[in-house]
Amino acid sequence: MTIGLTHYLVVAAVLFCGGLFTMMTKRNAVGILIGVELVLTSSILNFVAFDRYLGKGRVDGQITGLFIIVLAAAEAAIAVAICINVYKNLSTVDVDRATRLQG
Amino acid sequence: MNGHSYELALAAGVLSPLFSFWALVFLGPRMGKPIAGWFGVILGMGVPLAMAAYVLLGWLGLDAAARAQLTVNAIRLHWAYLGSVPVTIGVKLDSLTVAMFFMVTFIAFWIFFFSVGYMAGHSDEVDHQSKYHRFFAYLSLFGFSMLGLVVSSSLLFLFIFWELVGLCSYLLIGFYFDRQYATRAAMKAFITNRVGDFGFIIGLMLVYFHLHTLDLDEAARNFAAQHASGTGIFANTFALFGFALPTLMGIGLFCGAMGKSAQFPLHVWLPDAMAGPTPVSALIHAATMVAAGVYLVARVFRLMTPDALMFISTIGCLTLFLMALIAIVQTDIKKCLAYSTLSQLGYMIFGLGCGAWIAALFHLITHAFFKAMLFLGSGQVIEGCHHEQDMRKMGGLIKKMPVTGITFLIGVLAIAGFGIPGTSIGLGGFFSKDEILAVAYARAFQWDDVKKFESSHERGGEEHHSTENTPQQNGELNDPKSKVRMAKIESGEQFRLVSDEPPHKAAAASPETTEPEHSAHRMASIFAGTKPLPSWMFWLAIATAYITPFYMMRAWWMTFMGKPRDEHVHHHAHESSLMFIPLIVLAGGTLVSSYFLFRPLIADASAVASAAPMVLATDGAVHTQAISAAHHWLEYGVGFAFAIGFIFAIAIYARGLEIARRIQNLFFVWPVHALLVHKYYIDEIYDLVWVKGCLLVANICRFFDTWIVDLVFDTLAAGTERLAAFSGLVLDNHGVDGVVNGVASTSMDVSDVLRGPQTGRIRNYVLFAAGAATMIIVLLLWVGVRSATAVTP
Repeated sequence: MTIGLTHYLVVAAVLFCGGLFTMMTKRNAVGILIGVELVLTSSILNFVAFDRYLGKGRVDGQITGLFIIVLAAAEAAIAVAICINVYKNLSTVDVDRATRLQG
Repeated sequence: MNGHSYELALAAGVLSPLFSFWALVFLGPRMGKPIAGWFGVILGMGVPLAMAAYVLLGWLGLDAAARAQLTVNAIRLHWAYLGSVPVTIGVKLDSLTVAMFFMVTFIAFWIFFFSVGYMAGHSDEVDHQSKYHRFFAYLSLFGFSMLGLVVSSSLLFLFIFWELVGLCSYLLIGFYFDRQYATRAAMKAFITNRVGDFGFIIGLMLVYFHLHTLDLDEAARNFAAQHASGTGIFANTFALFGFALPTLMGIGLFCGAMGKSAQFPLHVWLPDAMAGPTPVSALIHAATMVAAGVYLVARVFRLMTPDALMFISTIGCLTLFLMALIAIVQTDIKKCLAYSTLSQLGYMIFGLGCGAWIAALFHLITHAFFKAMLFLGSGQVIEGCHHEQDMRKMGGLIKKMPVTGITFLIGVLAIAGFGIPGTSIGLGGFFSKDEILAVAYARAFQWDDVKKFESSHERGGEEHHSTENTPQQNGELNDPKSKVRMAKIESGEQFRLVSDEPPHKAAAASPETTEPEHSAHRMASIFAGTKPLPSWMFWLAIATAYITPFYMMRAWWMTFMGKPRDEHVHHHAHESSLMFIPLIVLAGGTLVSSYFLFRPLIADASAVASAAPMVLATDGAVHTQAISAAHHWLEYGVGFAFAIGFIFAIAIYARGLEIARRIQNLFFVWPVHALLVHKYYIDEIYDLVWVKGCLLVANICRFFDTWIVDLVFDTLAAGTERLAAFSGLVLDNHGVDGVVNGVASTSMDVSDVLRGPQTGRIRNYVLFAAGAATMIIVLLLWVGVRSATAVTP
């Protein structure tokens, strides 16, 4: 059996669902960040897979993948900084208890 | 010649008590108990008395011409203009003013003096604040007002001071304002006086409108001129109750006197006024203020008409008789004296009404002395007997208070007219009251002789004057020409400051150069208008001359003689030495005033009254002796009245009250007695007519108010309320508010719905996002499938 586009997409879908599931179930902010990274990773995998199988010599998908990695790094840096500040202020990173801004 | 020193002295005498008043008001509480009193005595009355003595001594040294000159030269200061009529301030300087000023200051001084002793023994604190200084402040204010009244040259100022003495009377009657009877008596006095003053104001307005002046002398001059020419007030045809306008003017002015001098229908306040402290009763309600009414009538005598005088004599006659009867049954020592005061004031008013100008004023002055003394004596008795005023509980006090008893007896003799007929030995009333009666007799029964006598007298008959023992009159005054001339000067031909023309020039320029014709004309006009006095008036006055000694001796006997009827009262009775000095001085004053000084002064002033255009002032001493052959029986008839009265009084009261009680229970006496005890039920009638009448009118007004006015307004109010309710509840609450609230609540509801999903939990958002994405994908797939299937065929 040869590894085709479908396999990549299934792996990406599993990653996506895993990430989504992590986001939905985790109360730890860091856990949620990990979920977000998983979702982003699955999308990168999709871009690269589509580029490989449908791109026909173009590198748009790969560049978009790199762009997303940079975005994810920036996002992670900001998100972790928020998490550290939340922890400093509330002594917790449980998002359900960080309700101070709730109306 | 500098003639203003007397006026200035009198003015200083008037203003000194005013200063004393203000000083006592502001500094009195700091002065403390005896000092405030002595301050009031010295500054409030001592200075005026000194001024009065200075003026009196100077005045006695002047002859008639010099006095007339001073009168004419008197300063008049312009104060204000009423329309075109100037109101002037000035001192009316003539013999009457001098006599009155001296009398008032002299009596007042000794009463102030007495008050220091009297008030010392009284609890005078209200709310822990002493009223002692206030008493002397009021007395000083009274001194100022009374003296101002005496010296006023203008009717307006006379009226102002008139009201001020009324105010002082009110304040002093209600001095014990923590006791209800005192405040009631004060209000009664004030309100009753308002009734009289209303008439006074009407009189003043008539003077102002028709005589175009408020100055006493100028008013008299204008009145005479209008009478001579038949213009002005005499041209007016207005009449009320059959009285012409000039008469109404006189009656209006007299109404003021009726209130202040407590004449018959308005007499009710004076007996109640005895609620004030006794010195007040002596000063204000016996000697001075109540005499102000008499003084006023004497001052405006020149404005009187024969009808007005008839009215005055009627009122005076009723007063003197009715009040003397009440005095018989009084048991309260002060009330008894109050009724005797009323009766004597009636004599004075009656005398003025008869034309006995000199006699009435003479009686005013003699009465002031002995009545002040009697009241102070009663104050001494009341004070000594621990505030017991009921004579039935006294008796036998002569041993305990000899000075009071004797001075009181002198007063009784004076008021009763004690004297030896045919000689000039007698006291007070013997001269003054009997002279009033003599003139009344002449007016009632010898009117034709009076006419004859006065006509010849005016034309130059000089033969009757030698009987007059008045040194001032023996000089220039007896010359008829100078008398008329003086009368003319007196009636105020010119005022120096008002017009720059010298007075003698004005007198020379007078149109009345033919004096005898003028006076003959005047006499003819007087006789044409005057009717003889009704004889019943004379008989009532004579009867009262018998009643007066009876009730006075009764009072004295019940108080001082016989056996003590109340051991407790008798045991405590004592005399205060500070207080009997004034008694002795006033007893001396009674003797002096009967013989010297005052009669000549008043006779001197009577030239003013003799110049009256419409009425005749009669000099009783000259006149009756000249014309009355029957004078002797009158002299003896009245002269022994005191003896008869005394004998009856002593016969009844010598053995206690038993005989009196038996007499009053006799079948024909008791209704009279009841009538007298209840003072003819006048208070009850007034209560029924005026007080209840007022309440009735008030109730009718209230009914109208409640049922008519209130109904209309209530209806209007209710309508407005309904309208407001409609616009408020229906339009505003449901319409305007409904829209506004509806918008608000709708957005609230919507926002509630919208807020539901916004839980703030990331999981939920993720779930929603994922769910939504899933649904979109499913939708797109479904649409793609359908479009695919739609395109396919």
